[in-house]
Formats: sequence, C-alpha cells, structure tokens
Amino acid sequence: MQIAPESHAPKLPFARTCPFDPPPQYAVARALGPLLAVTLWNGKRAWVVMRHAEIRAILMDERRFSGRMGHPDFPSVTAARVAVDRNERAFVGMDNPLHDRYRRFFTREFSVRRMQALIPQMQVLADGLIDELLAEGPPADLVATLAVKYPSLVMAELFGSPYADHLFIIGCAVARHGLTQSTAEAETKARELAAYVRRLIDSKEENPADDMLSRVIALHVKPGDLSRDDLAEIGAMILRAGHDTTTNMIGMGSLLLMRDAVLRARLTAEPKLIEAAVEEFLRFVAPVQFSPRRVALEDVEIAGVTVKKGEGLFMSLPSANRDERLFACPDRIDIERDTSQHLTFGYGIHQCLGQMLARYELQVMIAAILKRLPSLRLAVPLEEIRFKDDMQIYGVHNLPVTW
Amino acid sequence: MKVLIDRARCVGAGQCVRVAPEVFDQDEKDGLVVLIDAQAGAEIAPFVRKAAQLCPAQAILIVGDNPRV
Repeated sequence: MQIAPESHAPKLPFARTCPFDPPPQYAVARALGPLLAVTLWNGKRAWVVMRHAEIRAILMDERRFSGRMGHPDFPSVTAARVAVDRNERAFVGMDNPLHDRYRRFFTREFSVRRMQALIPQMQVLADGLIDELLAEGPPADLVATLAVKYPSLVMAELFGSPYADHLFIIGCAVARHGLTQSTAEAETKARELAAYVRRLIDSKEENPADDMLSRVIALHVKPGDLSRDDLAEIGAMILRAGHDTTTNMIGMGSLLLMRDAVLRARLTAEPKLIEAAVEEFLRFVAPVQFSPRRVALEDVEIAGVTVKKGEGLFMSLPSANRDERLFACPDRIDIERDTSQHLTFGYGIHQCLGQMLARYELQVMIAAILKRLPSLRLAVPLEEIRFKDDMQIYGVHNLPVTW
Repeated sequence: MKVLIDRARCVGAGQCVRVAPEVFDQDEKDGLVVLIDAQAGAEIAPFVRKAAQLCPAQAILIVGDNPRV
C-alpha cells in the first residue's frame, strides 16, 4: 500500500458537503483502507481511523496505544485543544490503572437503575419546557428553548449544579469544544469551570443535598480517597459532557424527525419504537467528531500501514457508524436495523459513563415532542440552519420552528 | 451456557444490564457488574452473547456456549 508523503496528507478537519453526513473524504478513504494519513494544524502527521473493527481493536489495546492526554505526542485538532488536554486531570485523560481508580468513584452514580429512576423527573422537566414553549407561541428557536435548557435542568437535579448557572457552564463547554477559539480563551474557561465546581464542593460540604456531588463528597472526599481539587476537575468534565453532547443530539434528532413525516407518524402511533429511533439517531449523528484519540506507544502495523511510535490517531466515530462492513446503506435512517454496535459512546475503558443518562434523556424528549408538538416544523428553509461546522461536537446552533 | 464476569475489568458502562437485565446487574455500592444468574437459559442466551460483545471492557466471558441451541 502506498502512503501519501507527509506534505500531501490532507489537513484535518475536513469540510462537510451535506449537513447530515460526515465529510465525504471519510467514505472515499474508508473504501481503500482503515487508516487515513492527515496533517494537523502544527504540520505533524497523524492518522484518522475510519473503520469500525480497527477502532474497536485500537480502543481495546491499552498496551500499544495510550489515551493519556498529558502525553507530549497526544494529538489535537486545534492548538487551543493542546493546552486544555495538557492540563486535563479528570480520568477521561488517564490510562489504567489510574483511570479505573478515579472512574469508579462515579460508576454507581450513573448505573442503569439510577438513570432509569430519573425518567419520571425527566418527563416532568421536558413537559415543563414544552409548556413554556406553547405559552410563548410560535415561532421559537428549539435549540435555545428545549435543547439547551433540558439537559441543564437534568444535570442540575442529578449533579447538583444550580440551574441558574447553566449558561456559564455551557459557555465553558463551548470554549473547549470549538475549532476556532484562542488558546487563552480555552485555558481560561477550563480553569473557570474547575474553580466553579471547587466552590460548589465547599458549599455542598456545608449544605449537603440529595445530589451526585454531595454523595461523592460524603463517600470519597471525607474518607480521604479523593481530593477536593481532583473532584473539581472531574466534576467540570462531567458538567461539560452532560450539557453539550445531549443538547446537540436533541437539536439534530428534532431536525431529523421534522424532515421525515413517515417516521414521525410511525413513532407517534407506536411510541415503543422511540428507543430504536433514538439509537439510530445516535448512530447517524455521532456528534463527537475528533475523539477518542490515542498515541502509538510503539510501531504498530495495521492493514499494511505502519503507525510509528509517537504518532497520534483520531478515532472517527461518525465514520465508524457509517462503515458499510457493519451497517447496510449506512447513510439512510432505518430504525429497523441492528444499531447495537454503533460507537457513538466510544469503546474500551473510556466508553461514555453518562450514556444511559443520554439515552433516557433523548427518549423522553423525543416522546414529549411527538406527543405535545405534533405539527412541529421548520420555520425557515434548511439553508438558514447554522450547522456546527465550527465545533468539535456537531449539531445545530439554531433551529427556528413553528407549530 | 455459563457466564463469567471479571469485576477487575468492569468500567460500569451498563451495557450488560441494558441488554440482559435477567443475568446482569450493577452493585449498589460501586456500580460494577454483578451476576444474577450464571446459568443463562436458551431464551436469554442471545442477549448474554450480545452483552459480551458490547461490553467495552471485555469483562464478560461465556463458556460452554453452543449458539445452535
């Protein structure tokens, strides 16, 4: 197999030509092999892994691939991201055994049963937001009114971060997840969010409540297993993840529903299909664009290509979810297909801790929209929707709707 | 079919509980996998296989499986 010389490797990121599909380079390159050589912002060569099987194998291979964000060769899609990666202290940026030690302080908080128990509260919150929307009347921006507020309200209940602070939290998430922000802005917002959670820890210590932060403090901080500063860093990571990704899935999911009258009629008539539809939307959208990432710890040959020690790899989850080897007609939405192996939540030890929370949040919100906003439709032509081509987490910036 | 779990590998992602709640649960104390029933019957076997396939930490091992049964 021929490898393009470094200077000829295309520059990451690529542009989309259709707002609903990953950049076309992925499908073209995926037909030729599992890896695509790319050039990063700093001129360094890295690899995009595009096929499902190779992504799974690399994410399971902790011996030869490191996910430690502090590694000097850890790849980033922007200069700003390098700065925040280097200072990442939450377990998302750790290899084992450290990763498991920290993640396990939180696993019980995200258990399937606990997340299931939140469903009635999610329903109340979703209904409340739709009440507000109906009271104000059309038109409205679905992103600002539902997609942003709903995960924030859920996280406020679950994590214990006051809802009044949600725009600040989202601002911090966006400063990290952008493709265009300055290094200084990304660093400042990362510090501000950790400092915010650190203050929240102090206040929860004084006035414990029935929330995740208070429970982790009582169970792990008080006995001395977990420092307040480490909890602040992990809490900041949980808040960023809990706000930004679900928001983007609600925006994209609502848009997909509005564009498919047949699917909408079917889900309205048979709400038990909503779970399958959400999984298919998760497969189809895969909002996280440039993670997970790894550094090769030694020379590794993959399908005839040698990834050299110290080279970075980006797992393209959007590409894996369109891998023809696993999903027939992958660019079509089909709620009948077996979606179980989609990689939207990643794979390996870092697989999303909040995935069940996200699933139930989406199922509840889609059900509420179908039931309460049966005539929901776009208030503008598709061309006026601003898609998040400027972000590392894809979605829509705005979604003007009427009903 | 006999099901084995490796709690030392488990990362509490919950895939097994989602797919085969008759066989897997998560410990209230640490959120890690616990086995409700190590002998999965024929009707549950496909779900246990799916759980093993989806487990992101490969913490589920199936022995004595005959997929034709």
